[in-house]
Amino acid sequence: MRDTYLWLLQLVTGAIIAVFLAVHMVMMHLDNIVGFFGGHISEPSSWSSMIDRAKEGWWLTFYIIFLALVLYHAIYGLRGIVLEVIPSGRTERVMTGMIWAVGLGAFALGVYASAHLFTR
Amino acid sequence: MRVGSPRENYLGLRGWVWAGRYDIERYLYSLHRITGLGLVLYLFMHLTVMAIVRGILGEGSYDDVIDFFEHPVFKVGEYAVFAAFVYHGLNGLRLIFQELGFLLGKPKPPIYPFRDSLRRRRPLTLGMMGFVVVLAAFVLTDFAKGGP
Repeated sequence: MRDTYLWLLQLVTGAIIAVFLAVHMVMMHLDNIVGFFGGHISEPSSWSSMIDRAKEGWWLTFYIIFLALVLYHAIYGLRGIVLEVIPSGRTERVMTGMIWAVGLGAFALGVYASAHLFTR
Repeated sequence: MRVGSPRENYLGLRGWVWAGRYDIERYLYSLHRITGLGLVLYLFMHLTVMAIVRGILGEGSYDDVIDFFEHPVFKVGEYAVFAAFVYHGLNGLRLIFQELGFLLGKPKPPIYPFRDSLRRRRPLTLGMMGFVVVLAAFVLTDFAKGGP
């Protein structure tokens, strides 16, 4: 029962990530295509442009939600594959421990870096 | 965790490459896994590099790193990540439709030849894959021009 909800959450996060990641990818890479449609993106990966975004509350919120969704989706997906390849109760316990450690560690790192740039 | 034993028809990692003459969906599943693993790998690299370089090391190191990743090899890599995302995202959307029972169509009397749910959704599958190809090619035009 519990696993069903975890799986459902995988579908829900997946659908939301499709939207969030599309925004992220279009902004970071598709400058020519956005330009063709009348938008304007200049050097999204330059330091100054990155700092401007890092100081916007909307972008901070966007990226922290995005980070949480992506980490859940990625780590749950990985868990499924590992449990399929090496199925045992022990694998599940080890995976659960690793998920919390890696997931929370990565989330903390991301939030720390974003908060540091936001308040800088 | 309950494990059925013996696990019949379990092909393991070998089955990701070739599982016999199955339909296209079986191999889309393999590709979904491979792109998924690739994206997980990229996610953790991206997260670590960006958090450490931006949040901790600062401007000088950030510019060096961005210059380093301007190399054509990394541009090709970035396109591969983009293409993997397009595939994984659209195929994932198809799986959501498939697994939650959307677009199943009206029930029909079981007259031979029977059509299973996979075959009924075959147009959706092919349409999605067509969309993946079109979108990936469209994005390639932007990457080919260079820039960020």
